[in-house]
Amino acid sequence: MPDAAAARPPGAGALERRDALLGMALIAPTILVLGAVIVYPLLSAIYLSFFSIYTPTLEGHFVGLANYRDLLGSGGFWSALVTTAIWTVGTLTLQILVGVGMALLLHQNILFRSLARGLVLFPYFLSTVVAVLVWRWLFNDLYGILNQMLMNAGIIAAPVNWLGAMPNAMLSIMVVGAWKFFPFVVIAVLARLQTIPESLYEAARIDGAGPVSRFFDVTLPQLRDVLTIVILLRTVWDFKEFDLIYLMTGGGPVNGTRTLPLIVYNQAFGLNQMGMAAAYAVSMMLVMLVFMLAYLRRANARSEADSAA
Amino acid sequence: MNQPERNPLRRPVTRRDTLRVLAGSGAAAAAALTAGCGSKDERTTLRWWSPQASPDQLKAYKAQIAAFEAANPTIRVVFEATSDEGYPAQFATAFAARQLPNLVTHLPSFAAQQYYAEGLLEPVDDVIKAIGIDRYFAGANEVYRTSDKHYCATGIGNTAADMLWYRKDLLAAAGITAPPATWDELRSAARKMQRDGIYGAALPYGMNAMTSLIFIGFIHRAGGQVFSPDLQVAIDSQPTYDALAFFQSMREFCPTGASNFSWGESLTAFVSGSTATGIYSGRVLANVAAQNPAIADAIGCTTYPTMSRDIPAWTYNDFPCLLIPKGAPHLAETKAFAASLYQPQLYAQQMHAAPGHVLPVLRAVADDGFYRANPLITRYAAEVDLMTKAATAGHNLGQETAAHKPNLKANEIIASNAIAELVQRVVLNKENPKAAVAATAVRLAELMRA
Repeated sequence: MPDAAAARPPGAGALERRDALLGMALIAPTILVLGAVIVYPLLSAIYLSFFSIYTPTLEGHFVGLANYRDLLGSGGFWSALVTTAIWTVGTLTLQILVGVGMALLLHQNILFRSLARGLVLFPYFLSTVVAVLVWRWLFNDLYGILNQMLMNAGIIAAPVNWLGAMPNAMLSIMVVGAWKFFPFVVIAVLARLQTIPESLYEAARIDGAGPVSRFFDVTLPQLRDVLTIVILLRTVWDFKEFDLIYLMTGGGPVNGTRTLPLIVYNQAFGLNQMGMAAAYAVSMMLVMLVFMLAYLRRANARSEADSAA
Repeated sequence: MNQPERNPLRRPVTRRDTLRVLAGSGAAAAAALTAGCGSKDERTTLRWWSPQASPDQLKAYKAQIAAFEAANPTIRVVFEATSDEGYPAQFATAFAARQLPNLVTHLPSFAAQQYYAEGLLEPVDDVIKAIGIDRYFAGANEVYRTSDKHYCATGIGNTAADMLWYRKDLLAAAGITAPPATWDELRSAARKMQRDGIYGAALPYGMNAMTSLIFIGFIHRAGGQVFSPDLQVAIDSQPTYDALAFFQSMREFCPTGASNFSWGESLTAFVSGSTATGIYSGRVLANVAAQNPAIADAIGCTTYPTMSRDIPAWTYNDFPCLLIPKGAPHLAETKAFAASLYQPQLYAQQMHAAPGHVLPVLRAVADDGFYRANPLITRYAAEVDLMTKAATAGHNLGQETAAHKPNLKANEIIASNAIAELVQRVVLNKENPKAAVAATAVRLAELMRA
């Protein structure tokens, strides 16, 4: 058997080294940028969480794990964690249901389909501040059209307190969140729907499958991968949603809609306790990490199962 | 085979051509930018922040800036609006990033005291001296006195932020001859006036600063206090329970959405005619004139009723002030500009931009014919005089009474929403007041220790 090293042409080692150096040079800017915008802030947040720091001056002293001990020992963290989970699950469910439904509708050969596909993106592009202002007026008990319509229709006798009572406030922000973010689901699902081979539907029809069966036996399995990604991304984004909730309810009534990002903001800029805010933020990240690991484990298990099959 | 002759004007565009065009465009843009740099404004720039920035106020500020710039051609002043609810975050980040404005106005006195105590502000003794301390109302700057015998800020105005606004026509229709002076009278009036889609009151029950700031006034109107004069937590007392009971009893006379009310919603509820009474500053005057002139002749105001006649009125004045962040450049120019804002005629114009809302701190201006000639101030002279008097004697959590020491944690206590949460727990959640107040007392003690 010929020696591999001996078989290599002269100068090959130098060429490989040059290629390796070139590769490192090309990837270095990416690593630098990722380091600056992801790794540095992450390490910085972890570092800050071990200090008691006054925000305006960024001066403080080392407190070790005291911030974590305090936050885990306080009911506020756990209550906000539960609230965050309820908000995330609720609004995400609505986004998926509405998004998939709308994508299926826009996949049909309907009148003004192109226009509708363009318009459906509107809420996603609208600034959150503007969207919240509009929705707050819609929900307003004195001048809001929602209460007026319901009262005119005889459904309610008096205005409903949409944002100032529970569970209305939570349901209201879930609806607004779903309205704002369902277009993302539509875009992703619609793109996937357009690549499902028509032959699968023809085969299902030949086998006597009706529309419902075709949806559950053909469409949904084909959407599984894209929905997994959409759910993962939207879970992360909804879990850390701040502006929409802050502007809609400010976390109230009492602490009914006070999610973890609102606490981070209040700790950092209301109470000027940047170290504690960082501890909350790191805790949020750890919670998300649990979701991420669960997802990766599930994805690996599925991959292995598919390989075995 | 003959090749067809190429028309040089019709040859395809090559990559090289594209690069040439891009390079040429880039060079032209760079040249334009360089030329622009040549005409760069060389003047010293001062940044002025304020959360009070209605269109009329902006116009008044521009006049003040123009006058100062005309007298100081080497300086330009840039105004930047901040927000009432969001200024703590804006300031925290500005200080942390050392991107400081030169001058800030219309922040509450307790914010100035806190920032000064943390070493973030310049004393403004020079500015007060330049303006002339004798020109202020007596004691107008005492609320800005610091423990090191300086002034952390100076008043830019006064505000009587929790006046009782009422509709004379609705009071008369309900058979009530005088505005309410006690809580029982107010509750009774609200009950009688609440009909035909009009609510009796516009009290705030939201999870925000307004609810905290307003409710503190009710504790005082029941004869209580949040902290003792030496700043021990004193909220767990009978007057607080009485104030909560009153707030709870008034909920049925407030709009359904009052549990999410902040300043804007509360103001609009009264101005639009949706409520028979309101709780706000003199901003009501300009807003009624502009948005609902039909009720302009029917509105009046008085200090907010107390639990009983033997308890004196307590008016919430946030003492809107002028302060100078430490570390911002051009300190001398900033102090000169700060003093220029009190030039009598321009200062009066600034007051005219929000007549009755921001009240003068300069005695001479308050009595001056030019200031009083404003149509709204003339029309509502009695109300404006009452608000001026009430605001001058007003207080806030930064110094609850004249006997209190300055509370350097007041800013953070308001930002924590601890008191708004107390109101919501008792009024909206119907929790046991004693337990809720006890929990709030613990929370306040923690905030004071932090």
